[in-house]
Amino acid sequence: MGESSDDIDQMFSTLLGEMDLLTQSLGVDTLPPPDPKPPRAEFNYSVGFKDLNESLNALEDQDLDALMADLVADISEAEQRTIQAQKESLQNQHHSASPEASNFSGAGSLGYGANVAAARVDDLPPPPADPVLDLPLPPPPPPPEPLSREEEEAQAKADKIKLALEKLKEAKVKKLVVKVHMDDNSTKSLMVDERQLARDVLDNLFEKTHCDCNVDWCLYEIYPELQIERFFEDHENVVEVLSDWTRDTENRVLFLEKEEKYAVFKNPQNFYLNNKGKKEGKETNEKMNAKNKESLLEESFCGTSIIVPELEGALYLKEDGKKSWKRRYFLLRASGIYYVPKGKTKTSRDLACFIQFENVNIYYGIQCKMKYKAPTDYCFVLKHPQIQKESQYIKYLCCDDARTLNQWVMGIRIAKYGKTLYDNYQRAMARAGLASRWISMGTVNAVTPAQPCTGLKTGASQPNGQVPQAAPAASAAAALGDAQRPAPGPGPARAAVLGHRLQPVRPPAGAAAATSRPADDFLPPPPPAAWDAELPRRRPRSRRLAPLRAAAAARARGDRAPRCRRRAAPPALRPEPAGPPPAAARRPPVPPKRLDGPGLPAAGGSGEQDFMSDLMKALQKKRGNVS
Amino acid sequence: MAGMKTASGDYIDSSWELRVFVGEEDPEAESVTLRVTGESHIGGVLLKIVEEINRKQDWSDHAIWWEQKRQWLLQTHWTLDKYGILADARLFFGPQHRPVILRLPNRRALRLRASFSKPLFQAVAAICRLLSIRHPEELSLLRAPEKKKKKKEKEPEEEVYDLTQVVLAGGVAPVLFRGMPAHFSDSAQAEACYHMLSRPQPPPDPLLLQHLPRPSSLLDKTQLHSRWLDSSRCLMQQGVKAGDMLWLRFKYYSFFDLDPKTDPVRLTQLYEQARWDLLLEETDCTEEEMMVFAALQYHVNKLSQSGEVGEPAGTDPGLDDLDAALSNLEVKLEGSAPTDVLDSLTAIPELKDHLRIFRPRKLTLKGYRQYWVVFKETTLSYYKSQDEAPGDPIQQLNLKGCEVVPDVNVSGQKFCIKLLVPSPEGMSEIYLRCQDEQQYARWMAGCRLASKGRTMADSSYTSEVQAILAFLSLQRTGGGGSGNHPQGPDASAEGLNPYGLVAPRFQRKFKAKQLTPRILEAHQNVAQLSLTEAQLRFIQAWQSLPDFGISYVMVRFKGSRKDEILGIANNRLIRIDLAVGDVVKTWRFSNMRQWNVNWDIRQVAIEFDEHINVAFSCVSASCRIVHEYIGGYIFLSTRERARGEELDEDLFLQLTGGHEAF
Repeated sequence: MGESSDDIDQMFSTLLGEMDLLTQSLGVDTLPPPDPKPPRAEFNYSVGFKDLNESLNALEDQDLDALMADLVADISEAEQRTIQAQKESLQNQHHSASPEASNFSGAGSLGYGANVAAARVDDLPPPPADPVLDLPLPPPPPPPEPLSREEEEAQAKADKIKLALEKLKEAKVKKLVVKVHMDDNSTKSLMVDERQLARDVLDNLFEKTHCDCNVDWCLYEIYPELQIERFFEDHENVVEVLSDWTRDTENRVLFLEKEEKYAVFKNPQNFYLNNKGKKEGKETNEKMNAKNKESLLEESFCGTSIIVPELEGALYLKEDGKKSWKRRYFLLRASGIYYVPKGKTKTSRDLACFIQFENVNIYYGIQCKMKYKAPTDYCFVLKHPQIQKESQYIKYLCCDDARTLNQWVMGIRIAKYGKTLYDNYQRAMARAGLASRWISMGTVNAVTPAQPCTGLKTGASQPNGQVPQAAPAASAAAALGDAQRPAPGPGPARAAVLGHRLQPVRPPAGAAAATSRPADDFLPPPPPAAWDAELPRRRPRSRRLAPLRAAAAARARGDRAPRCRRRAAPPALRPEPAGPPPAAARRPPVPPKRLDGPGLPAAGGSGEQDFMSDLMKALQKKRGNVS
Repeated sequence: MAGMKTASGDYIDSSWELRVFVGEEDPEAESVTLRVTGESHIGGVLLKIVEEINRKQDWSDHAIWWEQKRQWLLQTHWTLDKYGILADARLFFGPQHRPVILRLPNRRALRLRASFSKPLFQAVAAICRLLSIRHPEELSLLRAPEKKKKKKEKEPEEEVYDLTQVVLAGGVAPVLFRGMPAHFSDSAQAEACYHMLSRPQPPPDPLLLQHLPRPSSLLDKTQLHSRWLDSSRCLMQQGVKAGDMLWLRFKYYSFFDLDPKTDPVRLTQLYEQARWDLLLEETDCTEEEMMVFAALQYHVNKLSQSGEVGEPAGTDPGLDDLDAALSNLEVKLEGSAPTDVLDSLTAIPELKDHLRIFRPRKLTLKGYRQYWVVFKETTLSYYKSQDEAPGDPIQQLNLKGCEVVPDVNVSGQKFCIKLLVPSPEGMSEIYLRCQDEQQYARWMAGCRLASKGRTMADSSYTSEVQAILAFLSLQRTGGGGSGNHPQGPDASAEGLNPYGLVAPRFQRKFKAKQLTPRILEAHQNVAQLSLTEAQLRFIQAWQSLPDFGISYVMVRFKGSRKDEILGIANNRLIRIDLAVGDVVKTWRFSNMRQWNVNWDIRQVAIEFDEHINVAFSCVSASCRIVHEYIGGYIFLSTRERARGEELDEDLFLQLTGGHEAF
């Protein structure tokens, strides 16, 4: 335990030192790892920049802030892990001690001991002030049957090993600074760690960009040199994909909407019922109703095995290493793309395998007509993800029209990814659905505080006959205003963070809200559905106007959320035993987006507070240097 | 009751004599003559028959079969008048359940008692319950094809499993006992039968495979479907006799809720049906696909032979990476001081050796040259000599994501590994030549793991090495045996005879030693699967074939002058050109409004959305079979998970029946 706290101190000092470096010179070659122990320099580099110098210089002020917040989040996570480690070891001690102390009847006493241990996990440290404190799940309660001494030892050992591994794992996490190009030609830089999937990165970007989060948003990689591009599939590991890029690459990552991404799930009939000529295809295109679509999808994706769309036709193939294009008859099967050899029929037994999908990705070819003298511009390209330069191992195929191209690309993706694609889509849908719910809530919330200001007119409509009082409303507004300033009054702001249940009672506003909408609409999604539960906490950041400090704090808490989905609901969401007045309970959250951060530092644990003030110092230093 | 007489012996009531044969439709069978009236109930008649026979026996399963009307008299409260029975009726008093020999999907024969009096749908359900196959609605019975007489003598006596003695308690779900349904554990014989049902069979003899009939055209594929029995009528009505051979097959290719845990027999039989379907070329596949199927069969066979039938006690599949790493670490902890835990974890084994390397380049004919090769983590480096090893290597290759192809000839002592290593510039090709099997196995295992991004520290490394060695030894013993030189039964049983795993056309196309490495190559992707996983994978791959699950019948469309093929799949009907085999048109069941059968002119008329009407008469099979296929698939699509295994038999018969009048 003593060791680990030393570790933390050491980590902090290293971090702060390095942050100074960062802020002063912007000239370091690598972003420093928070954990100094293993040499991690080689893991951190940036993508989308020629070198790291440039990458750091290119960062806008605000980007840098965000990056640092990311870093801080890492540190605080590491710190919390260590705290947890202490707790765990404590628990282990307790655990092993209790059966010996009260070992009069096997199972019962042990069960009791375990309960105590579990309870103490919650009680040991000062109750975390941060509502979304990233505590790892308390270890599962030990099995009820009595453990022998050896088993306990084994258990304790296993716990220790787990801890060590976790640390090791944490230390080895690879991180990339990725410059993402927006569709408005601006760029954003963000830190992507190696465990993040494209889905996580997208969620991250949703928060940064205030977009509508619909399912068409995607990460998109572009190879200017090869003139090819493709979507990241949502389940793909971003860092893994980017590590295949060469250091001097011109490749870029884009964040944009592409309706092709999930086209098959929106209009499955265009892909699955298409073997009857184009005219009819168009007809069904319009005719298919939602129910039929659903059953078609169910049939194709939910059976014992997925169904790959039947797809065949003549395509042009660019011959290996040559400039000429040859027309061949190709067929798509679940096992790969096949072609009909000369003089043969298209029965299965005669087909020759053109390519299998295991080791290749599918890309759109851009302007192949110009570059490769392709017959049309509707090209798709298959290549091993690691190939970055022109090579005879890259396969170029060319379709007659855009429709055919989209069918092939989608068909290949279905054959390659199978049901994963559908799962991705459903997650994206869930995400989009939630986002729209929150947006609608956000607009209502924005209205609510304003209501009292319109005076008595609104008051007349209140069912409980209370005359709205200007004063409390004004004070609430003042509190809101306060919260937006860097130095907040911790009281109201923090209450807002913790959620509506702790909200100080403000009858007029609450009543107004109650009339404007059924209360249930405002309740955050139920905590047990963890995916839902974390969104309310994360969403607020998307609109934050708050300065860096708030941002940093928010990050410190929220950014790790995606990885701790199994964890228990944050304390703030637990029902209070005392029970707040109903009016308060039904009150919609005051737009938390403006308030989420500032309460934290004051309330945080001692270590964190020190850390935050240090961070502030570092940042002020930086600001001084920049201006 | 009936049979009142005067003193002179004349009957004074309206009674008459009814002759009933005892036994199963045998004209020479013993018969009894009863005195009955038109008002006699069937139940009373039954009682009288038993009295007349005067033999102590369990008659409870017996009922009266009316031969002329081809009908069972099962309503005991009906009178003879109500049935319309007169003195000339030929009635047989016989058992309702009679033994038949079933040819199972795995081609083994099994004798059991099937109901001859209930509709086939119920009879099949009872059979499936006995065999513990869930969802009996997916299966049905076919008549066995007529045998050609001349071959009769050649056929060796085959083993027929017998389940005629096994009685199932009605209505109760079979209880598991010693890992099998309780009724199988009564006798050793029944137990053996369960093993036959639930374990995959070894690959067939390649010679036999060559002689089995295979469809050579679409037309041939229609033959099978003319033999399906009618689901709404009983076996007796369809002319099946006791002791006949019937085929039990999955008829509808829509497998609901396939669950490896609860469906061992169902899964195995489905796997077997899929396997035979592919081996006999009923469903076509490409060469690449066939190699995967062969590899899976090899794997399934290996696991079932080695007795690893039981699932690996729940621990293995659940182990995720962390757990695996943990168990790894734990082992290491035992032997080392706690201080260097982390060091030992990070230490990754490496391979160093002299290997001969060949890099094909344009315009060079240089052969293999010896280098000092170091394989660490996922990176392969080679040096001119061992002395130069600390310096810069000649080349360094990261094998992550590369393709590993074995190039082995055991008898020729050639152990090469072909690597296709991706790099930003393209793929580079490199051959490693090992000296012996041991060296090859170690390096090969390392390469395979590295291509998946794992190092030799991975827990699967040792097992991978063992698997490669095992495979090599197989090749040595059996792989050489080709169709032309059949080996002794011992050798072929032990070794891998690739010809038993692929359809005969590949036997003609490839030599065994060409086939073996290709199956080997495909096998490395499936080597980690458990038995049920491998079977499931096989079934999935089978289902992914474009031609999967299409039942073909020859029809003539209204207004057309030539015969065409109608393909019936679980979601659509396909019109196929008979001569070319091209799909002309597809109609989906989801767009279907209704279908009607005109039994007189044997025509099926179907109406789809948007007033599309299709009508055809059936040529190769009766239109009852087409009708039942369509209705059956509609019925199967109504199944829901929530309802479990309950069957709405009425709905099924409603959808598939309706031709009693015919």
